[in-house]
Amino acid sequence: MHARDEKNLDTSIGSVQLRINELKEAISSMIFKIEHDGDSLNWPGLLDNFALLSGHLTSVSKSLSAEKVPLLRNFSVLPLLITPVRDELLVQMTEGRISTFAHDLVPDYLRTKPDPLVEQKIASYEPKAGNLTYDTQQKQVAQFGKIINHIHEIADKAKQEWESETSSRTSQPATSSTVDTHVLVYAIGSGKGLKSENVPMVQPVLNQANNNLMGMGRSPAGQPSGSVPGQMVGQMNKAVSSIKTNIKAASTMAPYDRR
Amino acid sequence: MGEPIGTAMDSLTAALKSKIIPNQEYFLQGSVMDTAVQVLLHRLRGLCDNLDSGAESFHDHEMCFSIRKGPPPEQGLSLRVRRAFDYLDAPWQLRYIGQPEIGDKSQPTMVRSSLDIACSSTIVEFLTELGCRLDFECILRGYMFRKGRMKITVSKVFKMVQGKTPDGMEAISQSYLVELSVLAPSGQNAIAEDIKIFADQLKPLVQFEKINYFTRPH
Repeated sequence: MHARDEKNLDTSIGSVQLRINELKEAISSMIFKIEHDGDSLNWPGLLDNFALLSGHLTSVSKSLSAEKVPLLRNFSVLPLLITPVRDELLVQMTEGRISTFAHDLVPDYLRTKPDPLVEQKIASYEPKAGNLTYDTQQKQVAQFGKIINHIHEIADKAKQEWESETSSRTSQPATSSTVDTHVLVYAIGSGKGLKSENVPMVQPVLNQANNNLMGMGRSPAGQPSGSVPGQMVGQMNKAVSSIKTNIKAASTMAPYDRR
Repeated sequence: MGEPIGTAMDSLTAALKSKIIPNQEYFLQGSVMDTAVQVLLHRLRGLCDNLDSGAESFHDHEMCFSIRKGPPPEQGLSLRVRRAFDYLDAPWQLRYIGQPEIGDKSQPTMVRSSLDIACSSTIVEFLTELGCRLDFECILRGYMFRKGRMKITVSKVFKMVQGKTPDGMEAISQSYLVELSVLAPSGQNAIAEDIKIFADQLKPLVQFEKINYFTRPH
């Protein structure tokens, strides 16, 4: 049972180490890239690199939280031998970063508690927090919550604005219209909409019908239709134009007679 | 007398056979809205050859004459006459353009046969005497660019209003017509690919299409 646990621990640490090595290689290749072709490096390329890193990080955290992996925090690392003598094996293992497993380095590398400075600060804050009355605590918590909410709102607003801006930008390509293209091409190609003979052929008939309509409409008003020819013509033209649009609409409804 | 004409015809057919007459027009058409035309012109200034001189503007009057060979269902032969309003001493232009070939999807552009020739202003009289009648006319005003053999025109199409001066014309659309075209001898299909590439450079500002304007939309 004990042996199995140990084996399990070994394999899981091995897999974590493998993942961390991959991550390290990715980081070093990225640093190399930034240092050597920093001038030609473009933003999409850099983003790709970041995506790679994040993928590796995810796989590290996945392998840490895998079911078979025992809770690593239940294990402790003990420095068994501390010596100022240069250790070649250690140099090789750490790729030249650490040459001695000495007193000044060990506390840094095997630290499980915060930095002493940080610890001191925390220690100075804790009694302060403990001395506060319940009411002031509640007040401060509420205030803090309020500030956080406010910041959240600002961020949300900025996000909404940004999104609406990008969406308006993507919906912007209303720089050309297929309908207009067709109108123009048919006009130039086959004279659709440019031919003037069609209109006079239709107009006389329309004018007659229009005259009748106008006469009927005008007599109750007591105005003899012939008395103001100028006005009449103007009105007729107006009416004709409106009727023309009607005819257009009708022709779209029954497209087969216009072929 | 018959001999010189014969040799002229012979040399013409020989020229046609050896494919040195640029009588094929490879072209694509699109449009750009009035609001975006400045952006397009700016981009074309950057892409095209006439960098130093800027865009060449034009203001033309086009008349399309047709003559029928048979009863109405048959497509008449149409001839186009163009004259420049802005260069009154320039010759008029007579142009024949054939029916466009759309081709399938693998064909990047449309192709139509095209022949043009400079002529004098009496051409209208001449055509009328031949029995042609004016089919339609319009006014085109816009800008022309060149890129290698390619001609790019951005033009506004105006309808002729009867009894009015050229200033009193009305635009038929809120957009400018954009045409890319190259005149080449037949069989030079590689040029079509160049046009397509250029058209792609103008996306999404202008969407070029292959539209067969001889068959009307239903």
